Parts: sequence; structure tokens; C-alpha cells
Amino acid sequence: MRTEKALQRDMLAAHECADMTALPPLYLEAAELREQQGDMDAACFFYTHAYVYALDCGDRKIAAQAQAKLKAHGRDR
Amino acid sequence: MTMLDRDMLANVMRPIETANGLPNAFYTDADVFEAEKRVLFGSTWACMGFAKDVPNKGDANPVTFLGQPLLAVHGEDGNVKVFQNVCRHRGMILVEEKTTLRSTIRCPYHSWCYNFDGSLRTTPHVGGPGKNLHDCVKREELGLIEVRSHIFMDLIFVNIDGKAPAFEVHAAKLLDQWKEFADKPLYHAGEDSSFELQVNCNWKLAVENYCESYHLPWIHPGLNSYSRLEDHYHIEQPGNYSGQGTVVYNPKLDDTGRAFANFEGLTAKWDTGAEYISLYPNVLLGVHRDHFYGILLDPVSNGKTIERVEIYYTSPEMCAPEMADLRIKNAKMWKDIFIEDIFVVEGMQRGRSASFYDGGKFSPVMDNPTHLFHEWVAKRFANA
Repeated sequence: MRTEKALQRDMLAAHECADMTALPPLYLEAAELREQQGDMDAACFFYTHAYVYALDCGDRKIAAQAQAKLKAHGRDR
Repeated sequence: MTMLDRDMLANVMRPIETANGLPNAFYTDADVFEAEKRVLFGSTWACMGFAKDVPNKGDANPVTFLGQPLLAVHGEDGNVKVFQNVCRHRGMILVEEKTTLRSTIRCPYHSWCYNFDGSLRTTPHVGGPGKNLHDCVKREELGLIEVRSHIFMDLIFVNIDGKAPAFEVHAAKLLDQWKEFADKPLYHAGEDSSFELQVNCNWKLAVENYCESYHLPWIHPGLNSYSRLEDHYHIEQPGNYSGQGTVVYNPKLDDTGRAFANFEGLTAKWDTGAEYISLYPNVLLGVHRDHFYGILLDPVSNGKTIERVEIYYTSPEMCAPEMADLRIKNAKMWKDIFIEDIFVVEGMQRGRSASFYDGGKFSPVMDNPTHLFHEWVAKRFANA
């Protein structure tokens, strides 16, 4: 797992070059990192982005994973 | 609407022998053009696009039609739906250009996501960061606004006010007249069978010119060699469509005898028959035993119309590269004919600035299809 700083850098880089398929795994990783730290609000923020970008680029696996987490914590349906 | 009065409309609705054509305001008045959006388009079935532009799941084609942002989407179930192309949140345009969506319609503003059937899938952070639910945001009530639509011969029709009779009822007479074609699969070959003309005229002049054969020997002298005026007949369906037919259709696109295959199972009428119909308000159609075309008239403004022409064939083989030369010749033939009409419709548009022109005098024998169209327009305004 990357450090938070490295994740931030990679996310910004992916946004900058509009590499949409790189975004879902990066946001998922950021979400998992925050979840491990016990910060569920921040984790769900990142799960939401992982979910939305996964829907957008057709990454069904990550969409399902992120949605399941959000549902489990009462943040989405 | 101040330019129109009941007497003017009554003149148009008289029998052809004594009727006048539509008054100038229908071609030059911005208020009338605005009113037409509701009276002639929104309250009936008008064409906004072609299904061939969204052939696969997830294909989305945004169109501005009569000023309305619309979006045609090919859904997971294989059906094409039309939505207003705006997010239910802040009214942002959802899709800016033709694209293939992967699994959602995502608003580019706050990322509200919709399924291809229009239902609202997720509302990111709507209840605060990381909270995508809120009791006041009821997803089941916030799907995309669907516009009633129907596909007929690959043309996507929409009924914007949602109150018109079902398309099958609206177009029942045409469905019957062309029952031999209506259920046939149509095949489009792509760019070589597609062209667009931008014309400086009101959209109605394109309808009027298309539905009558009176002008053919004068404007299309090339047709005289095989399709003389006396070989044509009127097609008249009051309140719905009008046009013309020919009994001598016999295309010769290639000296060696190569030709397009015919639609299967046609009756003998179509061996040499072809028909050209203006389905009110904005569709021009042509059927032949070996191809079909549809023309969408997009009324950009009072004096500007885009004519979008799409030509279809009878089988995938007719769309193969080996047939490209014939398809190109066929498309060129039609394009040349439609271009010959441009100076006429543009001339009539300029003529509509003549303040004492009374809408014109019809030939009771030759102008019947045009009169029917004018009568349709006048009746809808009289009843509006």
C-alpha cells in the first residue's frame, strides 16, 4: 500500500492527464487506508469517489466493492 | 401571434379552389416560430434523430432540437430512450457530445449518476461528505425526465408534451400505406450514405416543396427522361401527411447491370413504384424497392433549416465495401436533386418579405399535397 502522500500525488497526476481508468483503484486504496485508520467518514468520501469513477469508466468490480462498503455503512444503496 | 388572425387562417382552410397559402408571418415572424414549437411540434410526434446514431448499449447522442437539449440513449435492454439532457440537481447539461457511456450517465458538475434507463443511481455527498443519501432527496422521484419517443424506420420521433395519441395511432394511415416496408430491417452503410444540407429557408418551405411533383420538370429536368410529370400521383392524407408517388422508378446506377437488392416480399406495385411523403411536421421520407431514405428537417431558426439525409439499404451485403461505389452514386444522385431545390426554397423564403403577398394561389390540380400541409398548420393554430 502506498503512503497517503504518494496516493495524493498519483491521484492528482491521474486527474491532470484525465486517466479515468486509473482513478477507481487509487480512490479505493485511499478509502481502505482511511478505513484502516478508523476514519470511516473520510473512508466513505473516498469510497464514493471510487464508486462514481468506477461507474463512469465501467469498472464493475471496483464499483461493486465500493458500493458494498458504502451500503454496509449506510452511506448509499 | 399578433400577425395572425382567424380570417387569415380561415382562408388557408378553405377548399383548394379558393384557399390562400399560409400568410407571410408563418415564415418571417419570430413569435410564430416560437409558437410553432408548441403547436406544430411539441404537441404531436416530431423527429429528433436517427437510431443508427446510437447502435450499441451505452451509446448516447445529445441533440438540441427546437432549442431543447435532448439525449438519446441506447439502454441495457436494447431499447433507445430519449431524455431531457439535464441533471435533476442543478440543470447541468449531462452529455455534451456523441459518446459511448460505460455504465452510467454522470453529471460532470456534482457527479450525480443515472442508469441508462434514466433512474438515479447515486447522489455523491448529498447528505454531506461520504454520505450519499438524504431523506429529502428521493432518488425514485429524481430520474431523468423522459421524453415520450418511438422509433419508426430508424427515425426517432418524440412527443414532447406527452399528450399525443400513441405513435401507432398517429401514423396509422402511413403504417398501412407502407405496411410492406414498415417492419423490414434497414441497414445503414455509414458516411457514404449520410449528408446534410444547410438551407436559408423556413422548414415549412422544405416540406411544401418536397410533397408536390408540380415543380419536377422545371427544377429537376434530369428526371424528365425517366420520370415525367404524368408518371406521378398525389398522396393525400389530411391532417397527417402528403406527398407524391411515381410509377416508373427504374434506377440505373451502373452500366454493367449491378444493382441494389430489393426488399424481400414486396408486391408488384413496387417493381416500378416509389413514394415520397412529408410526414408532418418535419420528416421527409422516400421508399423504393431497393432503398429507403429519411430526411429530418431541423428548424434552427425562422429562416434557417438543416436537412439531415440518411439512406438505408435492404441487407448487410448492400452495405459492404464492394457496393460502396453504387452507394456513393446513389447518395450523389439524391444530393444533387436536393441541391437543385435549394434556390427555390430560399427564393420563396425571400419572397415572404413581400408585404402584400397573400400566401399565394394554389393550382387546384397540382398543389393538393401542399394545400393539405398548409391546412394542417392552419387548423392546429386555429385550435390552439
